Amino acid sequence: MGNFIGKSVKRREDARFLRGAGRYTDDIKLPKMTQAAFVRSPYAHAKVLNIDISEAQKADGVVAIYTGQDGCGAYGVPCGWQVNFKNGDTMREPVHPLLAKDKIRHLGEAVAIVVAETLELARDAAELVEVDYEELPAVTDPKKAMEPSAPLVHEEWGDNAAFDWCIGNDRTEVEAALASAHHVTEMEYRNHRVAPNAMEPRSYIADYDINAGKWTLYTSTQNPHLIRLLLCAFVLGIPEHKVRVVSYDVGGGFGSKIYHYTEEALLTWISKEIGRPVKWTSDRSEAFLTDAHGRDHVVHSKMGFDKDGKIVAHLTDEYCAMGAYLSTFAPAVPTYLHGTLFQGVYTTPLIHLNVVAPFTHTVVVDAYRGAGRPEATYLLERIISKAAKEMKMDPADIRFKNFIPPFDGIDEPGYQTQVALQYDSGNYEGVLKRGLEMLGYEDFRKEQTKARKNGKLLGVGISTYIEGCGIAPSAVVGSLGARAGLFEVGHVRVQPTGKVQVFTGTHSHGQGHETVFAQFVADKLGIPMDDIEIEHGDTDQVAFGMGTYGSRSLAVGGSAIIKSVEKVLEKGAKIAAHKLEAAEKDLEYAEGKWTVKGTDKSISFGDVSLTAYVPHDYPEGLEPGLDFSSFYDPSNFTYPFGTHIAVVEVDKDTGKVDLQRFIACDDVGNVMNPMIVDGQIQGGVVQGVGQALLEEVVYDDSGQMITGSYMDYAMPRADDVPMIETDRTVTPCPHNPLGVKGAGEAGAIGSTPAVVNAVVDALSHLGVTDIQMPVTPQRVWKAMQN
Amino acid sequence: MKISGTRQIGAPRSEVWKMLLDPVILEKVTPGIKKLESQGIDNYNAVSSIGIGPVRGVFEGTLSVKEKVQEESCVLVVDQKSKMGNVIAEIRMLFMPSEGGKTQVEYTGEAKMSGTLARMGQRIMSGVVSTLSKQFFEALEKEVEEQTI
Repeated sequence: MGNFIGKSVKRREDARFLRGAGRYTDDIKLPKMTQAAFVRSPYAHAKVLNIDISEAQKADGVVAIYTGQDGCGAYGVPCGWQVNFKNGDTMREPVHPLLAKDKIRHLGEAVAIVVAETLELARDAAELVEVDYEELPAVTDPKKAMEPSAPLVHEEWGDNAAFDWCIGNDRTEVEAALASAHHVTEMEYRNHRVAPNAMEPRSYIADYDINAGKWTLYTSTQNPHLIRLLLCAFVLGIPEHKVRVVSYDVGGGFGSKIYHYTEEALLTWISKEIGRPVKWTSDRSEAFLTDAHGRDHVVHSKMGFDKDGKIVAHLTDEYCAMGAYLSTFAPAVPTYLHGTLFQGVYTTPLIHLNVVAPFTHTVVVDAYRGAGRPEATYLLERIISKAAKEMKMDPADIRFKNFIPPFDGIDEPGYQTQVALQYDSGNYEGVLKRGLEMLGYEDFRKEQTKARKNGKLLGVGISTYIEGCGIAPSAVVGSLGARAGLFEVGHVRVQPTGKVQVFTGTHSHGQGHETVFAQFVADKLGIPMDDIEIEHGDTDQVAFGMGTYGSRSLAVGGSAIIKSVEKVLEKGAKIAAHKLEAAEKDLEYAEGKWTVKGTDKSISFGDVSLTAYVPHDYPEGLEPGLDFSSFYDPSNFTYPFGTHIAVVEVDKDTGKVDLQRFIACDDVGNVMNPMIVDGQIQGGVVQGVGQALLEEVVYDDSGQMITGSYMDYAMPRADDVPMIETDRTVTPCPHNPLGVKGAGEAGAIGSTPAVVNAVVDALSHLGVTDIQMPVTPQRVWKAMQN
Repeated sequence: MKISGTRQIGAPRSEVWKMLLDPVILEKVTPGIKKLESQGIDNYNAVSSIGIGPVRGVFEGTLSVKEKVQEESCVLVVDQKSKMGNVIAEIRMLFMPSEGGKTQVEYTGEAKMSGTLARMGQRIMSGVVSTLSKQFFEALEKEVEEQTI
């Protein structure tokens, strides 16, 4: 522990957030700025017969109206990850137009955009646009989408599959092992669709500067450089050096703001057409309809065990919805971010997963906190708990029996899974032991028995998860179909006065990078945190970067910064040696100064910085300045893990689930700021509890969304969750300089199965073995009646 | 969304039947109706303006009466478009004589909605529909009273 690393330093950014002084895109008002409103389809699947804009054009304040016929971005928005069919055929990639031309493929798809002097005038004029549709039958369920009679989302391929992919051991081998297994546990369910619900709705301003011939796009994104690359090279074909993408503060994303949305490209195109800035901010209804959703897997799985409860084989078939088009990362989510975690924390020797990913008449899916890993964890942790019940074993014992033994990955290569990955380090029994201790497991079971006698339905649910984070080693993901490298850039600029600017290509949308990154830079340089500024979110300021998702910012972005800090210190040592007239090897650096070992001769970081910029008395042949940029490409993913335990009481009359305790013992490697890690875990847990108990996006058979507002889409509230009890074990990541693994997604990954396991446990003596999420009072009550 | 209910109307079946198929009466009793133009027998073009809570807007489209069984039953087909979404509803109405020369009307059917209307949520929409049907039958009853005076 240093002066700052490992301390719960309060978040610097909160001073402006709590005062309402954040700089969100919608706060920005440019001179001569126009406002846009969209005309969106009220149908999920329809032919566009005619669009009449004549009345709207005459409306007050209208600047311009565009439809799909106006030739903006002919190639549409691209997909960033290619997942091929298992027979080697290329993934099917439909054109994703910026505005629908002749066909509507999901509810809320944009048909026209109206640009006007004010938002009100734009919305009024949008109401005057007349669109004739011919409604067509729709399919929204991923499994039904693969039935021969299903309406086609894209006609050109004859069926709805984007790809049909598999991973793991040979299927026949896995099937044979299941056939001879002592016991087989089977599950069928839907890991249902959820909406991301970032507090800040999406917002964009595009501004074309005719003098410079340059565009500026202000956008609420998690990855500004990625947006710039996709926008320039794939959608609009404009030169990358002529575009600046800026995203100052972003109010949450959970993965939904990775995706390069059509609106971003369309506004950029329009700003040049009209020669004025144009802004669009989504309202909450549009957010439900058009923000990339999460999950939506239909799952059928079988896990085989020997007579001692050891897993012998695991076979799963899934149908995973893509939505009407392919979002930036949609194909990666149910495949390489999902199938690769099917080893879980267990020694399962044989694993096979097959994923059919159909197009559906719904909005696209993309990453949603955990992205593929919560879905894998949900399956593994539900099915092993179900098996324990069936085999009359304790759910903790069956886990201990199957855990991969502890390994630190330092002198050994890590744990090679059956599904492509090599875990870096782990101690899975450690977190479960600690979690059970925090709960008081033995006592709880006694209490549960007593409660049952008194007619109370008490249950406990355990989940032990692992996730692949620190995304990602470029060559590895490249071989898996990623169309980008996933390194990160860290740039450290020391000013002549010794003040430091750090530029990072990651992007904070609430995580607290400005605090945490300053903490470890301050410790490494031995200077006050106040002397360090963390800059992000402006492609003209930050050399490059891949953004924030996959719990990568500290593990990958932080490591890039460390590399630059080391370069600063290396060069600083040369200057210090010259000034102190000593050999470099005789110097030591601590507390912000270089000292000649064993003497009191020293020179401060500030004096060295000044010398670097006023190089009068300076080492021969050394360049002036103290300014370094580094690219860091990780050698492996990082693998955080943990145990989550939920305690619930079910109301026997109404079926309402009361979450009474929630215990999270996580191992995210070394911890820079415990308060922020706790906050991330707590937020993630609440999100996972939301999916388990409350949240669900429901489309009806015609593709209408019947949960399109907070009246019908239930978000968790403060009184739905208890205080979350957190603790940690620490197994450092062996392959990055800070030994960190990432903590952004863990909460949402471990919590969902823990809660559902607890509900099933509470009802198990009534014969309930499984229950479909979200576990609403109605579903629980029905399960109790059967 | 499912729609169903029962109402008592203080007039005999023959009277209720006649009134329901009379465009003048229909225009008077349908809530929010601005214009009802006959397009041949039992087919109308309708423009209505509705404002209940968040459901607010001008609806335009057709209204027709099908599968008529004299004084016994019919199906009301509503196809209305608006800026906040479209409604297609088929409502079967059964007319049964009840005590004191009254008529019991039973209606069941389904409304298919799109756009914002669909997203408003079942709870609000069923409230809106029940308010509208209540207004319809209350107005019809008033008409009946006035006619019989």
